[in-house]
Amino acid sequence: MNTEAQNHGGARAGAGRKKNSGKFKENTKVMRVPASLVDTVKSTLEVYKSQLKSDVVVSLPADNAADITTPIFTSRVQAGFPSPADDHLEGRLDLNKYLIHHREATFFVRAQGESMLGAGIHPGDILVVDKSLIAKSGKIVIAVVDGEFTVKRLHKYKGNITLKAENPEFDDIVISEGSELIIWGVVTSVIHQYA
Amino acid sequence: MPKSNQQKFALVDCNNFYASCERVFDPKLEREPIVVLSNNDGCVIARSNEAKALGIKMGVPYYQVKDLMIDKSVVIKSSNYPLYGDMSSRVMSIVGEYAPVQEVYSIDESFLDLSGLMVNLNTHMQALKNQVKSWTGVPVCIGIGHTKVRAKLANRIAKIYPRFNGVFDIDVLPDNRFEKLLASVDVGDIWGVGSKSALKLNRVGITTALNFYKADIGIIETLLGVNGKRIYRELYGHSCLAIEEVAPARRQIVSSRSFGTDLSTFDEINQALTALTRKAVNKLNKQSLATTSMSVFICTNPFKKNVPCINLSKTIGMSAPISNEKLLIPLCAKLLKQIYEPGYRFYKGGVTLGNLTLDKSQQDLFVVNDKSTQLSDQPYGHLLRYASELGNDRWLPRAEFQSNRFTTHWNELLSV
Repeated sequence: MNTEAQNHGGARAGAGRKKNSGKFKENTKVMRVPASLVDTVKSTLEVYKSQLKSDVVVSLPADNAADITTPIFTSRVQAGFPSPADDHLEGRLDLNKYLIHHREATFFVRAQGESMLGAGIHPGDILVVDKSLIAKSGKIVIAVVDGEFTVKRLHKYKGNITLKAENPEFDDIVISEGSELIIWGVVTSVIHQYA
Repeated sequence: MPKSNQQKFALVDCNNFYASCERVFDPKLEREPIVVLSNNDGCVIARSNEAKALGIKMGVPYYQVKDLMIDKSVVIKSSNYPLYGDMSSRVMSIVGEYAPVQEVYSIDESFLDLSGLMVNLNTHMQALKNQVKSWTGVPVCIGIGHTKVRAKLANRIAKIYPRFNGVFDIDVLPDNRFEKLLASVDVGDIWGVGSKSALKLNRVGITTALNFYKADIGIIETLLGVNGKRIYRELYGHSCLAIEEVAPARRQIVSSRSFGTDLSTFDEINQALTALTRKAVNKLNKQSLATTSMSVFICTNPFKKNVPCINLSKTIGMSAPISNEKLLIPLCAKLLKQIYEPGYRFYKGGVTLGNLTLDKSQQDLFVVNDKSTQLSDQPYGHLLRYASELGNDRWLPRAEFQSNRFTTHWNELLSV
């Protein structure tokens, strides 16, 4: 027992905490953590510690858990046969994805008036408008003529621009030299509700 | 000075953001002077260039410039935060596509870390500018520099001089031109130098950004501490301020507002504060936070002459973090009862939840979550009210000139 080392200071054999007896039951390391993540790291460790104690596996939800909508199982866990559909799980159809191709550039606009009845646009309908698209001749557009909004079909021919109504009772708008035309967006769909 | 392998940052800033949002949905306003008023139509908080040219200053009370604005047919808008917020998220989402790292700095500003991108940065940023404009209708200007402070300065140049077409890289300036530019900038206009710091610097004769740039770094550090030193070094092109990808955790949540009219009875004030508390608790829950201190304040209008200027407040600490409105709303009423004094006309009030921590009760799977019994979690929760919220709604803010919430309410869509 009385070795030389013990008489001259330094670590004694068998002294200190037992190996892996700490909170985490394994070796730990010191590291730098960005200040903004301190709380996140701490809470992760808290959860990990409680797991070690209780032997229950708990996983932390991701920060953006709300965005993750993928279901993991469709059938409930129960005695019996699993749903034969589990292996063929697909996302449910989403109208947003179908109608909106550029999320940041898409706006909904309420149609007024009957000048575009022929194109299937009724008063009160909701138009899906994409501002990112280039307005080619023949597209239905939201235009601004001298500061006023209008929805018409765009016609470009030999440098002349006409905004055509799709209802014989309405006149076309011929863009003359003095007037200012801005194409605000291109109409990609019409939503017409019956009930 | 700057070496070619240095970092590169961009600051993307929307031009007169609130006024620009209004113009997207009302193109007639394109060249008109526009002024946007704060909550409750109190002060001027945003101006179009045309309104700036008329000499309407930022922050002035509405009544002081009302006559001038009517005289010059200035278009007046109440602030429309649902609209500005949605337009901002569209802009920021596009901006984020142009660099691997983005910091959304405010509702209308975003930093990008462009370091290491193997593209012509000027062309790249021109494309960004054009895409934001055509997709959302909002015009932006972009400043590029080796540091955030320099990028911010560059943005200023991009805004002032149309010949740069909205994008300016400050690092291309030769030293003498750079210094000439600094001479034209007030020291208080350097990003990070606040008005208090500017005052300290002015006292020792540092009034322009050039004075600051030429000053001894020791003096700057003595006066402004380590932050001042960082800004100084940033100005010289040494990056000290990194992009903050994650917004720093909130230390407190404040929910306050001027009442629509002055309120004097306890019940009316309590009604207003209950609604404000619910708003604060909603924010708290959204971020999975809990609070351990709550403050309540009410005050009279400091701008009104011949009226005593009263500011009453009280703070209470809690033994354990709570996040439940069933506990916080009665607490707010209790605090109000202690500070309320009859006989005054209170014009503003608010609630602060401080000392925020992560809400443990939300993480623990084995604790029965008592939040499910909160009003807002029940079906139609948004329609339910606490009894203390019931009343005549006189406290709701004035928003006389608000445009439609075009992108967030089906019944307020743009009509064409």
